Amino acid sequence: MLAQQLVNALSLGSVYALFALGFTLIFGVLGVINLAHGAVFMVGAYAALQAVVLAGLPIWAALIVAFLVSGLFGLVIDILVLSPLRKRHAPHLIPMIATIGVAIVLNSAVQGIFGADNLRFPPGVVPDEAIEAGGLHITAVEIGIILLTFAIMVLLLLGLRRTSIGKALRAVAESPKAAALLGIDVEGLLRKTSFLAAALGGAAGVMISLYSNAVYPLMGQPMLHKGIAVIILGGMGDIRGALIGGLFLGFAEVFAVAYIGSTMRDAVAFGLLFLILLVRPTGLFGKASERKA
Amino acid sequence: MDAFLLWFDEFWAVYSNLILTLGINALLALSIWLTLACGLLALANAAFMGIGAYAGALATMNYDSPFALSLVVAMAAPSLVALAIGVPVLRLGGVYLAMATLGFGEVVRVVILNTESITGGALGLNGIPQQTQWWHVALALAIVVFMLARLHRSKTGRAFEAIKVDETAAGLMGIDLRAHKLLAFVLGAAIAGLAGALNAHLTFFIGPQEYGFDRGVEILTMAILGGIGSLIGPVIGAFFLTLLPELLRGLADFRLIVNGLILVSVVLFLPNGLWDPARIRNWFGARR
Amino acid sequence: MQFMRSAIVALAIGASTVASQAAEVKLGVAAALSGLAAQYGAAIRNGFELAAEEINAAGGVNGNTIKLVVEDEQGKKEEAINVYKKLIFQDKVLLIFGPTLSNSASAANPIAQAAKAPVFGTSNTADGITAVGNYIFRNSVTEADVLPVTLKTVVEKEGVKKVAVLYGNDDVFTKSGYDNFAKALKDQNIPVTTTETFAKGDVDFKAQLTKIKASGPDAIVLSALLAEGAPILVQARQLGIDLPFVGGNGVNSVKIFELAKGASDNLWVGSPWSASNDTPENKKFIEAYTKKFGLAPDQFAAQTYDALHIVAEALKKVQLSGDIAKDRAALRDALPDVSWTGVTGPFKFRQAVDKSGKPAGYDADQQPIVSVTKDGAYQIVK
Repeated sequence: MLAQQLVNALSLGSVYALFALGFTLIFGVLGVINLAHGAVFMVGAYAALQAVVLAGLPIWAALIVAFLVSGLFGLVIDILVLSPLRKRHAPHLIPMIATIGVAIVLNSAVQGIFGADNLRFPPGVVPDEAIEAGGLHITAVEIGIILLTFAIMVLLLLGLRRTSIGKALRAVAESPKAAALLGIDVEGLLRKTSFLAAALGGAAGVMISLYSNAVYPLMGQPMLHKGIAVIILGGMGDIRGALIGGLFLGFAEVFAVAYIGSTMRDAVAFGLLFLILLVRPTGLFGKASERKA
Repeated sequence: MDAFLLWFDEFWAVYSNLILTLGINALLALSIWLTLACGLLALANAAFMGIGAYAGALATMNYDSPFALSLVVAMAAPSLVALAIGVPVLRLGGVYLAMATLGFGEVVRVVILNTESITGGALGLNGIPQQTQWWHVALALAIVVFMLARLHRSKTGRAFEAIKVDETAAGLMGIDLRAHKLLAFVLGAAIAGLAGALNAHLTFFIGPQEYGFDRGVEILTMAILGGIGSLIGPVIGAFFLTLLPELLRGLADFRLIVNGLILVSVVLFLPNGLWDPARIRNWFGARR
Repeated sequence: MQFMRSAIVALAIGASTVASQAAEVKLGVAAALSGLAAQYGAAIRNGFELAAEEINAAGGVNGNTIKLVVEDEQGKKEEAINVYKKLIFQDKVLLIFGPTLSNSASAANPIAQAAKAPVFGTSNTADGITAVGNYIFRNSVTEADVLPVTLKTVVEKEGVKKVAVLYGNDDVFTKSGYDNFAKALKDQNIPVTTTETFAKGDVDFKAQLTKIKASGPDAIVLSALLAEGAPILVQARQLGIDLPFVGGNGVNSVKIFELAKGASDNLWVGSPWSASNDTPENKKFIEAYTKKFGLAPDQFAAQTYDALHIVAEALKKVQLSGDIAKDRAALRDALPDVSWTGVTGPFKFRQAVDKSGKPAGYDADQQPIVSVTKDGAYQIVK
């Protein structure tokens, strides 16, 4: 049982990390707790579902569709909502509340168009059968999620360190004013970040709804709560932290179920979160100095 | 006059619950205003509301306590909890405090779910006597507004303001940061608990789902939307956010979409919230 | 304004005297059309609309057409109260159907009881809903009546000796289902290997299922809604768990075949309504519903469909006077005696009692049908 639970924890942890990557990116660079990230995640799942059902695309192509559609939504949200707020230097709570409004609009619009019912990807778009090895069961989707999560994280880290855009981004995250003085197109970079974060959210939406077999208008809300926990655990705005935080939460939940009792699962997970904050106020990976967002 | 009375009777029959909810939500918005006025972004108010609601309802149902005493219990219970968690938690700053208090809210929710013999677990508490009258809410709101206004103008209120503007400077000026933050946190918890008990004794039923993440965010939104520059802002924000879905009822399926759009628009176009004395002065100034 | 009001009142009075043969009977529907319970609300609204259309097409009730006033209560208690007050005092409906969730019913039904306006629940299965008073009715069969029958059938047919239990502990519906399962398991002396829980919105159930598998049960008792129930079935099969699942109302929907495709076999459910029950009433209903809405009906739609027919039966015996208070009382008095054979089979009311044992509202008195899923369909277990 322990071996299977380790596999379970690894895949659940990767699910949380995958969701949190885009969420933490937007916090790290824009300083916004984007409560519409769950909605963008949901939009990605619906976009891919339409691509598969209506256009008959294979799942990898649908994943790209979701990536682009969600990214576009992220870009539009940035242009219409976040950018005007940045320009007037609104305190960080204000964009957060604006994103609540955005989430309400997206959730209700999708419900209006597609209905409130649970939908799912047609069976067979990914192999449904679990692979069995030595008594352990793991599905193709789980392997896909684990690989994708690690791949995206490595790409993001390399991109941030090695490319000129990445270096500019880090400069912006450190101090937008100084970056602007250095001649960096701050506004353009922030838009690209919004696009990328939302696009990653959309891709996560596809993978996670393949995993749970459920696409519905409010599917992003429960993930959002977990996502918040993950980015605190990992240190807010830290890419590696999203992975560590996600895995930590996944392992905490699975082992709480396995050895303490499933009724205590959320209490254990959030209790740990609470304790970690008290001991390490900026999260496991957070910088010692607090970010003035 | 008779026609008016008749009209009023009908109006009251349809809208009394909504009007009382306005008052209760105003209390909630004020409860978070208090911590925001001290520069603290604490999001435990939904949890404190829940603790107050359960404590008050249990006092009434299990111990036949008079309503006034139930309300006192409902204010005392969350205050004590706030006192206990406030000491470690208030060391955190900014967004981290927000997240820790949200985490605390989850813990409260899970505890309510798991103490089934007392709280009824997921099934909630049913058959709470309806004791909240309109004047209870009006009186509670009046007293809270009055006290907060006094507090705002007192030495303590000025200390809150100083901490909000610049914590380090306030500390250097000799203001006891910990004590003042804790006071704001505990008082906020008491007001939220009061609102919780008034709500519980109005709606016959309470359940753990009502005091989760969504409620916490809603309370914060009411305060910020209204504007936290003064006491009037949160009250107006609460009224606005409570009335909006009702006013939009005619839109049927589009209601929530429009609701969301209005929320975004207010944030975008009214930088200091709905109640912004400077803007209102400007409008009149421009006319002259 | 005052003038306008009196003019409207005068018009209304005029209209009601002139058109006494063909008036409108206004019935309220409070349903969760948005929010997390919206998928049930949608089916509920559809069921009512179909039934109203049919009744009106057949000439209405005593020549009166039925008009539904549908309001969204969002699955929230405050909204449910607001909607009730609007329906009772402003729209002046004869009766309210709803609300969707038991929580909302606990909060809003006392308002209707106090105003002496009848309430008819079609989806509230929690205990104590009808204990509020004699104006509260429901045709949703409580799980206390159904689950013991389902459990007994599975034990007999599959030779089950011990079971594991999995339920959602943060939801009224699934928790109350669990309570009834736990009681039935105790009454029938069936040992439980382990009891596990999950929360609304979870995407992963493998930790619980792995633990259940290790505890070695013969069957898994599941109290879940469709949103979590379907992924649970899929993930269980992926973990190599091929045991029978014993479910409640929440997973009794043909949507399970789509949502858990390839993993939906061997799920046992009990309910008065089954998609595979081929009585003439049910066949006609399924055909008409599928034609009108382009999707298959579920239990919620079936129960609301019957509910409106039951109320229509009662209305046939009521002489409408135009005095709303009198008419509501008359309808209330007529309802308990209705017996009706609808899509959920033969139906009659059974009076419930309140906490002190005094007679209160009315529950459904119906026989559940136990079915098991096989190859994408429910097969009725005889």
